Amino acid sequence: MKTAALLQDKILPLIFRLALGGVFIFAAVPKIIAPEKFAQAISNYRMLPNEWLNLLAITLPWVELLAGILLVVGAWVRASAWAVTGMCVMFLVAISSAVSRGLNIDCGCFGTVSGRRIGLASLAFDIALLGMAVWLSWCERDAGFCFWRQEPSSQELAPTSTREKPA
Amino acid sequence: MRRTFSRALLIVVMGLSLGLAANTVSPRRIPLIRPPPKAPQPSEMLTLPEAKAIWESGAAFFLDARAPADYAAGHITGAFNLPAEEFDQHYPQVAPILTPDRLVVVYCDGQECELSHHLADKLRSMGFRNVRILHNGWTVWRTAGLATQTGDQK
Repeated sequence: MKTAALLQDKILPLIFRLALGGVFIFAAVPKIIAPEKFAQAISNYRMLPNEWLNLLAITLPWVELLAGILLVVGAWVRASAWAVTGMCVMFLVAISSAVSRGLNIDCGCFGTVSGRRIGLASLAFDIALLGMAVWLSWCERDAGFCFWRQEPSSQELAPTSTREKPA
Repeated sequence: MRRTFSRALLIVVMGLSLGLAANTVSPRRIPLIRPPPKAPQPSEMLTLPEAKAIWESGAAFFLDARAPADYAAGHITGAFNLPAEEFDQHYPQVAPILTPDRLVVVYCDGQECELSHHLADKLRSMGFRNVRILHNGWTVWRTAGLATQTGDQK
């Protein structure tokens, strides 16, 4: 296998899975440990009605944790990447909105462990995560594209001889 | 595609269920519906002239509820930094100088800033009986030309 193909087929998906999964697990744990702090962090964004904040603070970290673990172990990679893509888009909207309103608040991205303020750095970080998630979301599109494949594509299942011959 | 979507949906549903289940048994559980924020009583708030008089008399501790970086960039002269969002981490540094009976004035910055309210609630729950809030404190203090200083907490 050529180096470029090896990189695309094996190494990049592995790095992306571990990085993305690791970040989501790392982000989920402090929020699960202290849901009241995470609820406060969401509240600071001033985007959701007060009544919804606790429900989101209770449930969202578990979705993060589950998707993160699945990415790291390499099961349901594409589905996990879709879930992570959805969450990254949600975070992107929240951070952009808060930055545009000039709010000087803690990101809340990793619970309150990091103490990171929202700003262009947190936006860039989220976009990088989103990029990896989108990339992994497509990773089974072509045969051999992904390090871990859930199911072979129909094209891959077809006998080589019939694929090579024009109809 | 359809199977992936179903699986993604299942991940979300399982996460939601796990979260709700974990919250039911967790010792740190929080109510599913967040109670409405308590509106501050007028007696909890200070006007700028009142705050200025208290500051000049030296009768109160002034606590800046903002993040350390904001505090370092500028704060009311003599105020201590106790970031509301990192209370547990910073409280031990401030604890030796606080006494429960002495007046504490807390402030943050901005019309919508709630850090001072959170800090005041926290202090009251710890037994500080005399906590008042200077709303939008940093901005009103600075624009009034009152004494300010910069730098980290010593």
